[in-house]
Amino acid sequence: MTDTTWETRRGPLAQSASMAARTLASTRSNPATLIEFFMIPLMILLSITFFMGGQMMGTWQDFLQYAGPTIIVMGLFFAIPATGLGLFGDLKAGVFDRLTAMPVSRFALLAGRVGADMVRHAWALLVVGGVAFAMGYRVEGGVLGVLAAVGVVLLFLFSASWSMVLIGLTARTEDQIQTWMIALLMPLAYTSSAFIEIETLPGAVQWWAEINPMTALSETMRALLAGGSPGGDLAAMLAWCAAAVAVFVPLSLRAYRRKLTS
Amino acid sequence: MQHAIEVRGLVKTFGAVRALDGADLTAPPGTVLGVLGPNGAGKTTAVRVLSTLTRSDGGSARVLGLDVAEHAGEVRSRIGLTGQYAGLDPDLTGEQNLVLLARLLGASRAKAKARAAELLERFELTEAATRAAGKYSGGMRRRLDLAASIVRRPEVLFLDEPTTGLDPASRSRLWELVRELVAEGTTVLLTTQYLEEADHLADSIAVIDSGRVIASGTPGELKQAVGGLVLRLEPVRTEALPQLRDLADWTIGARAEIEEGRAVVPVGHAGEATAVMARVTQAGIDLASFGVDEPTLDEVFLNLTGHRAEAAGETEREAAAL
Repeated sequence: MTDTTWETRRGPLAQSASMAARTLASTRSNPATLIEFFMIPLMILLSITFFMGGQMMGTWQDFLQYAGPTIIVMGLFFAIPATGLGLFGDLKAGVFDRLTAMPVSRFALLAGRVGADMVRHAWALLVVGGVAFAMGYRVEGGVLGVLAAVGVVLLFLFSASWSMVLIGLTARTEDQIQTWMIALLMPLAYTSSAFIEIETLPGAVQWWAEINPMTALSETMRALLAGGSPGGDLAAMLAWCAAAVAVFVPLSLRAYRRKLTS
Repeated sequence: MQHAIEVRGLVKTFGAVRALDGADLTAPPGTVLGVLGPNGAGKTTAVRVLSTLTRSDGGSARVLGLDVAEHAGEVRSRIGLTGQYAGLDPDLTGEQNLVLLARLLGASRAKAKARAAELLERFELTEAATRAAGKYSGGMRRRLDLAASIVRRPEVLFLDEPTTGLDPASRSRLWELVRELVAEGTTVLLTTQYLEEADHLADSIAVIDSGRVIASGTPGELKQAVGGLVLRLEPVRTEALPQLRDLADWTIGARAEIEEGRAVVPVGHAGEATAVMARVTQAGIDLASFGVDEPTLDEVFLNLTGHRAEAAGETEREAAAL
């Protein structure tokens, strides 16, 4: 018989990676999730560009060049509830009961789901970005600008996903998760400079739009992709990300303890 | 000697429902403790408290001498758990499920694979290793679940109704596997609704009802307490029933009940049943059927609690609905 007193101590990050690999491995039995993950951002890009772009900027080509990247990000943003839904499903199926009774970091059990969804977001970004390129979108900031922009987007999605972890842990039904998604994400996305000019908004909303994290992200991306320096927008975005992680990670861990060890 | 499991006056309430109401349980190292009771008696809650998944509201629960609330981390690294609902990922293959657990427990990739292969072999799942666990039959899933709970060999193993819903062949195969683990020195706490299962596996049994232990002892002691076996005799002609009752009285002095066209004779052991049968044959009474049975859980309950197991089940469902 094999010795099972394993010497290797694998820390929370290595455990998170194992959990993420587990979530991604299920893609093999559900290959459709590969398509599902980019459907929302793709449809948002196509519909807004073709149906509204011409009206907003004369031609859809001009609109795509101005708002393409931020609309892609908004689409990915609308895909983050998958994290909450996935976690909810795992909890309901009882998969986490055994894991919770094992000496495994609580953080890793949650971060594994977030990490796996980050891989899927990166995949969606690749596909939808490819479509935007095929439609005629061109980057001025070169490879470095693209890589920096992708890094910024993934960091933003990572931080925002922790809010979905909390919702997935505390929601009683899947409908609740969907409701919260619309209630939280829509106003965030639409009151930002993702694809409108802030000056066109009513006064009170303008004040919010200026500090909206989606605005900080959109402006950072535009600057990076144009080959410029994002400056204060990047700082604002990083502050938002740090705040989201600082708030939602501890709250999620607390919710996890309450849910599984009450 | 230190007990592997030691529970004193354990209390857990869910709102107005006292799922555990002062339960006491003990299991010496290397033994099997059977916790027998109907749905909602508090069995699962007891397992959840002992496996660190639920915090109790009162009393003490120690596993390997460690308080489960204070030393949850160390308890977790020395126990294994097979819950009532398979704690497996249905989308992963049998092998992937086991490798994941081994990796989470600190094994290197190579060692995790080796351990998974060894367990799959031992639990006769090698052929199904690359199939999704969700597509396994009930018996295979339970075997994989048991394998999953011993990926790192636990000192104490909790099995919550491990064979509920299994066919008899799968059930006895699982029993064999559990006995092997015990032979290797693992202490097992097993909950079950089947007296037969507790009888087969357990060194001692605790009968639990409404969160309290209402009887405990070895399987033999317990069966004696509830009246041993019953002999059921169904004559071809129902007119023969009173005669059967009298025969039972003369032969072994047992008071038979007549119900649904059958005489139900309580017997202390199989020998008494044979004696009654011999008399029935001598008297020339034609039987349509006969049989010697262990008392059912329902009969054990009726005997120990004065109410039927279903009644407790109702309370449990209400508790679950809260």
